[in-house]
Amino acid sequence: MEETRIVNATWDVSTFKYRIEGQGLTRMLSGMRDAKLIGIKCSKCGTVYLPGSFYCRKCHIEIDEAIEVGDHGEVMTYTVGYADVRGNPLEEPRVSPMVKFDGCDAWVMGALEGVKPEDVHVGMRVKVAWAEERTGSLQDMQYFIPE
Amino acid sequence: MRNVGIIGIGYTPVFVSKRKDVNIAEMISEAVEDCFANTGLGPDDIDAMVFGNMHTFEGVNMPHLWAADYIASLGKPVMRIATGGTTGMSAIHAAYYHIASGLHDVVMVVCFEKQSEGDSQVGLMGIVTPEIMAMLQAGIDISGSSGMGALAGGSAGAISFQASSYLARSGAGIEHIDGMAALERRNAAKNPYAHLKDANATAESVARTALISYPIRFGHICPTSDGATVAILASEEKAAELADGAAWIHGLANCASDASAGNILEGVITDPAEQMPCQLAAKQAFERAGIKDPKKEIDCVEIYNGFAHQTLMFLEKLGMCEVGEAHKLLDAGELEINGRCPVNASGGVVSTNAIGTSAMNRVTECALQILGQAGEHQVEKDVHKALSHGWGGLMQYVTITVLADKPRKG
Repeated sequence: MEETRIVNATWDVSTFKYRIEGQGLTRMLSGMRDAKLIGIKCSKCGTVYLPGSFYCRKCHIEIDEAIEVGDHGEVMTYTVGYADVRGNPLEEPRVSPMVKFDGCDAWVMGALEGVKPEDVHVGMRVKVAWAEERTGSLQDMQYFIPE
Repeated sequence: MRNVGIIGIGYTPVFVSKRKDVNIAEMISEAVEDCFANTGLGPDDIDAMVFGNMHTFEGVNMPHLWAADYIASLGKPVMRIATGGTTGMSAIHAAYYHIASGLHDVVMVVCFEKQSEGDSQVGLMGIVTPEIMAMLQAGIDISGSSGMGALAGGSAGAISFQASSYLARSGAGIEHIDGMAALERRNAAKNPYAHLKDANATAESVARTALISYPIRFGHICPTSDGATVAILASEEKAAELADGAAWIHGLANCASDASAGNILEGVITDPAEQMPCQLAAKQAFERAGIKDPKKEIDCVEIYNGFAHQTLMFLEKLGMCEVGEAHKLLDAGELEINGRCPVNASGGVVSTNAIGTSAMNRVTECALQILGQAGEHQVEKDVHKALSHGWGGLMQYVTITVLADKPRKG
């Protein structure tokens, strides 16, 4: 007989204020309120990061050029999940692509609705389904839908 | 630099899910004793120690120090290495540096993992804690059902993006991952130190296992194992004095690049299937080993493959075949234990994964093939040169070691 002891605990993540989150992520979140995706472009190599990095990992220089990228893009890779994060089976399989938005180099993870798992393919065009009431949260981008 | 050879190897008697009959230090000592028994050497022959395991996986601090009695390290220099999945091979590399530099003559490498005594997912979570913290504050839905940054869950979730990208860009299908997994389970059945064994595995039997996260099935995934591995490395002069034979290190390299997972906060800009560090490290290791055409000069390969698609993907990245060709070699039977390019004759990481040992076992298994001591899983062809590969970090760190049956000239 194996014994398992469960200890209940809470972790208040709001008490952490990392410097990093005040930068590109904050800028992106404020744009999302207006249904816009704001990234940061490297002045040297042209790579566009989303959420924006303030440092180009390729060129090793500081960057700060805010740039709006498209909310349409291409599925670069995807997976189909059959269980939730606790391992319980999902009623419907969930499609999660990584999408490269037009004018952007980042591969952004999200959920894809409105298409059957067997019809998803790398290279398919998708767009953002924005929430009607946006608050400047990652939830403003509800999910992707086929273009 | 001086030549360095592997002159002895020891394993725990088994690699299994739960060793409840021994604690961590006792389990490690089994591999140390096995290595001493195999070589006829003892603690007095060892100048220095390198020790490796994953940080946080067992939730214990400084195991290299509290296990001192059990690894016979009292009064000796000890260094702990923890580079993630690659730990075991980084530990071998550290021993190489010790000896090649002339600082020491004989170095023992001790690596272990006892995953049953910890929580690997908690350990892995520690990699992305700062990211997750900020994303939670920014409104990420951790259930993954909506919102940007939906999580796929654990390493199997993260790896499924890599596998899916690899399939789309290589022309291989999910049936090739099934076939690769089956080949390795069959090889594992010949290896007494393998964990998941199935002598009768076929692509069809693997295809009947459940999809966990497309395209990864249950049958494509490594187990969590308990086990330890030990190796003794020596200079050319000491090897001649202490051992009958050795597997010689001809070239090694390691390389890191931009994280293709766990960097959601500042934008992932790298295809998880690109694996540029593997291409760069392999090129450098081959140059150091004087290998011009690995396809012709390498006789067998051990690849770090927590998931079965990685065997095929890394064969291409290592330059053992052309891009998009690995699944064709699989179909042609060339990757089998009696094939032209035998890969993971041991069963690979997908069959046995005590993580601290996993990248080290790629090297020790290549050494056993060179020494002709692999037993039932000895490959059919003669092995003069063998290639071992380690992978881990944030999916972007690779280690390479090239072994040969003779000391390197010049």
